[in-house]
Amino acid sequence: MSTTRLLRSSLEALGRHKLRSGFMMLGSLIGVAALTFVLTIGAAAQQKLLDTVRQLFGPSSIVVSGGGGFFLGGPRGEAARLTLDDAAALAEEVSEVESWDPMQVVPGAQVRRGDASASVRVLGESERSERVWDRGVSQGEYFDAAAVAGSARLALIGETVAHALFRGEDPIGAEIQIGSVPFRVTGILERQGTDIHGMDRDNEIVIPISTAMRRVMNVDTIRAVKLLVRDPHRVDETAKAVTRVLRERHALAEGQPSDFTLMTSSAVQKNVQKVERVLFLYLPLVAGISLLAGGAVAATLMLSSVSARVGEIGLRRAVGARPRDIRLQFLMETAVTAVGGGLLGAALGSGLAVYLAGRMSFGVGVSPGAVALGIALAALTGLVAGVVPARRAALLEPAVALR
Amino acid sequence: MIELQGIGRTYRRPGGEPVVALDDVSLRIERGDFMAIVGTSGSGKSTLMNVLGLLDRPDTGRYLLDGEDVAGLDVDRQARVRNRRIGFVFQAFHLLPRTTALENVELPLVYSDRAEIAGLGRRALEQVGLADRIEHRTSELSGGQQQRVAIARALVNEPDLLLADEPTGNLDTKSAADVLSVFESLNQGGRTIVLVTHDPSVAAHCARVARIEAGRIVAIQERQATAVGARA
Repeated sequence: MSTTRLLRSSLEALGRHKLRSGFMMLGSLIGVAALTFVLTIGAAAQQKLLDTVRQLFGPSSIVVSGGGGFFLGGPRGEAARLTLDDAAALAEEVSEVESWDPMQVVPGAQVRRGDASASVRVLGESERSERVWDRGVSQGEYFDAAAVAGSARLALIGETVAHALFRGEDPIGAEIQIGSVPFRVTGILERQGTDIHGMDRDNEIVIPISTAMRRVMNVDTIRAVKLLVRDPHRVDETAKAVTRVLRERHALAEGQPSDFTLMTSSAVQKNVQKVERVLFLYLPLVAGISLLAGGAVAATLMLSSVSARVGEIGLRRAVGARPRDIRLQFLMETAVTAVGGGLLGAALGSGLAVYLAGRMSFGVGVSPGAVALGIALAALTGLVAGVVPARRAALLEPAVALR
Repeated sequence: MIELQGIGRTYRRPGGEPVVALDDVSLRIERGDFMAIVGTSGSGKSTLMNVLGLLDRPDTGRYLLDGEDVAGLDVDRQARVRNRRIGFVFQAFHLLPRTTALENVELPLVYSDRAEIAGLGRRALEQVGLADRIEHRTSELSGGQQQRVAIARALVNEPDLLLADEPTGNLDTKSAADVLSVFESLNQGGRTIVLVTHDPSVAAHCARVARIEAGRIVAIQERQATAVGARA
């Protein structure tokens, strides 16, 4: 008896029952597709998350936002009344603060240049933004302290904005309008790509914060301030000091909720870990359970297959099959369908992940680890699912089976 | 070739009366014999067939096949004996559905340890006169043709002994005659054939007829007129 001949015979048996084989494959196909999909997307999302966090926080920083969070979904507080004076006072009174940058934002401003127009996120920043947010210009020059002091109408534009308004022309020195206010372009912002929310960080314009507050928005509050902390190990206690100073300045009584939100790099790290647990524990667990369900379906179908093929089993025994040959045949039939379904599922899951990640500009490749894990688990469930049916088939008495 | 000595087989069902299917059966079958085993339903003829085919184990007695006691072999060795030395033909054909004649015939080769198996299936189909039906699916064949496919399957490993259990039971008269003539020509070619039937007209084709009643062989008749076997 050669195993090759037996394997061929198993494959032929599967071919005779295409519908049942198809349903058996479907179980592991769906399970493995789900598993490779969540693992591949998960790895991409984790990378994106870490990139975004690094962009926003760097190694050691605190972001104070007025009124309640728009940073990664913090709690919403009272009406915003965070001011430039608040930010300056923090830098003055909390000695660990090394540098700071206030920020104001218009989420969707209409920007025009001649006939071309675009909807753009406009950020008001100080000249220190270049260092505090670690984002400079790739062409041209950043605005200086004098520009901020004088509410100059200077604009640094992202690459997406540059493309939309200038289509290959040199934007440096050209004039654009934000709303109805004219600005002169002095630089192109360094490329940042999309963030974890899928927002294009290159569809942004940075202008001096004073200009944003007075000429574009007409507000006297800032949206947030980012503080760089000297010692990365003292971020948490610096955050406490910041809270104390701000609550004092806002005259908040004991027990009254804060009207500002603090995000520290260490707190964000904890959030990232929570997200990672979802990405790499809970989602794969759910996918694994669907694989398990697929295994149970395969086992049930194989059991019914054994019952339906009692005569065939008897015949095979009569023409010389040993009990172990029968057992091996049914094990191979479940294993082959499980691995086959697993291969298709891995292709489907990876393909879908790469396609969707591409559309969200996550930039992801096929994860060999996820594919290997999916196929290995499919093979394992297939073998386990085959054990009971194969045993039952092997124990059939030939004389009884042929009746 | 075959010698049964005092074979007994009793079925014990839990809670039921034990059923004696074979009671002290002794029988000799020579090489080249063409023997019918006849009896009514429940007489024990199918049990005798299963014992001869190593599909069932007797409780008592000895079964010598070419001098070797095969009744006591372990299941794997018995499977090997069935594969190499015995061919089976069943009343219900037991062909695999949605499968060609050739694939059905080649099934025993799956379990064979022969290295060279190419062409064996084709040759077996030629022997039963189905050379032109090799790629036909079993559902495209008549009952008589299906049974001839089953005979080719029994022949594919070139066994010495053919066991046929009511091989014409599911066939019309014409097909039955075809199938019996295949058996006759195989017997003329030297094969030992044991055929179980309840039908005297089928038994009439055989050289010897053993009659079984209530698990015992009660008579063995020689039919010289139709004795066409290799026995002198």
